[in-house]
Amino acid sequence: MKARETLVWIATALAIAAIVHVGSVYALPRFIMSRAMAAMGTPNAIHHGKRADSDSRGVVRPSPDLLYSTCPYDLSKGPLRVHAAIPAGTYWSVSAFDANTDNFFARNDRQLRTRTFEFVVTGPGPGNIPLPPRDEIVISPTAKGLILFRTLVDSEDDLARVDAARRQATCEIISLSAPSSSKGG
Amino acid sequence: MKLALKIAATLGGGIALGLLATWLIAIRGGMPGGVTDGPWHTSLSIGSASGDIYTRASVAVHGLLALNRSETIYYTAFADDEGNALSGTCTYRVSGNDPDARWWSITAYASDDYLIPNPAERYSISKNAVRREMGGGFIAAVGPEVVAKNWIPVTAGNPFSLTLRLYNPGPGVVSDPVHAQLPSIEKVSC
Repeated sequence: MKARETLVWIATALAIAAIVHVGSVYALPRFIMSRAMAAMGTPNAIHHGKRADSDSRGVVRPSPDLLYSTCPYDLSKGPLRVHAAIPAGTYWSVSAFDANTDNFFARNDRQLRTRTFEFVVTGPGPGNIPLPPRDEIVISPTAKGLILFRTLVDSEDDLARVDAARRQATCEIISLSAPSSSKGG
Repeated sequence: MKLALKIAATLGGGIALGLLATWLIAIRGGMPGGVTDGPWHTSLSIGSASGDIYTRASVAVHGLLALNRSETIYYTAFADDEGNALSGTCTYRVSGNDPDARWWSITAYASDDYLIPNPAERYSISKNAVRREMGGGFIAAVGPEVVAKNWIPVTAGNPFSLTLRLYNPGPGVVSDPVHAQLPSIEKVSC
């Protein structure tokens, strides 16, 4: 009788262990992503990171040869318009990650073949507002996420030029409450 | 009182065991889908949107914000060609020809996954900055002592790892990352 009771307690502990394990594995990417996004700064604004050195602690294994710019977003107040300037003659890419860390969108300079690139990120739910047809629409699987720009510093002489180019990028929420604001074109 | 103790032990033991399993599998465990090419390791699951919660957790821990392999392939070496762990006490010769990619770099990281402090503020060699041999290949020195040409400094006494990044890799590397032509890592002295 005693042994049977012990067995029940052990089985209960194992069941709790299984639930905690699966739950924590499921939650881990969201936890890591929300911490990384919070460290990057205010949402729906672009942040140009300084070149990575041994003091950099934002994201593990940063590349010292790339300039990283980020736009952590929160689409609860409306879609996000992203405008990027693409420096000539070097590797450049923009990628988007959802709150779960999944990379759901990426474009590089060779695919785009233009000097600027504009797109709109909308949330997964209904309620999409009419957007100008020229905008490329990207649907984010989650309301929160991150846009990440990578710009390669090909040589030290080129640093000032590509750094200036990447700083022309912007990201901002398209206001839903003021539809007339689009009149300015 | 005895029952309360049993409940506490069951609950506490269950939570501790569950978290330990997560730590061992998702945090300490290696990347799923891992493959090797000589001393270089990579994971085919980096940057992919996978429905598997274990893959996603490992990628979040080890390769957060990494791109998928058609855009970038990340290889990491924790050991030399002989399989001995990389040590900051030793000097290594990293040599080869350009891997098949639009751009590549080799960067040293400390065991905390961040760049290694050094007075020269050098952390990597890359396709365009590396100084080349007569035949077009390159020879780099990874070690604690100053080297005039293609030096990647590391801290004496500390373990380290190297990451080889291939940006816009060639189609052959994307389809078969196990047989890509990658630099060798030979121990020279300790």
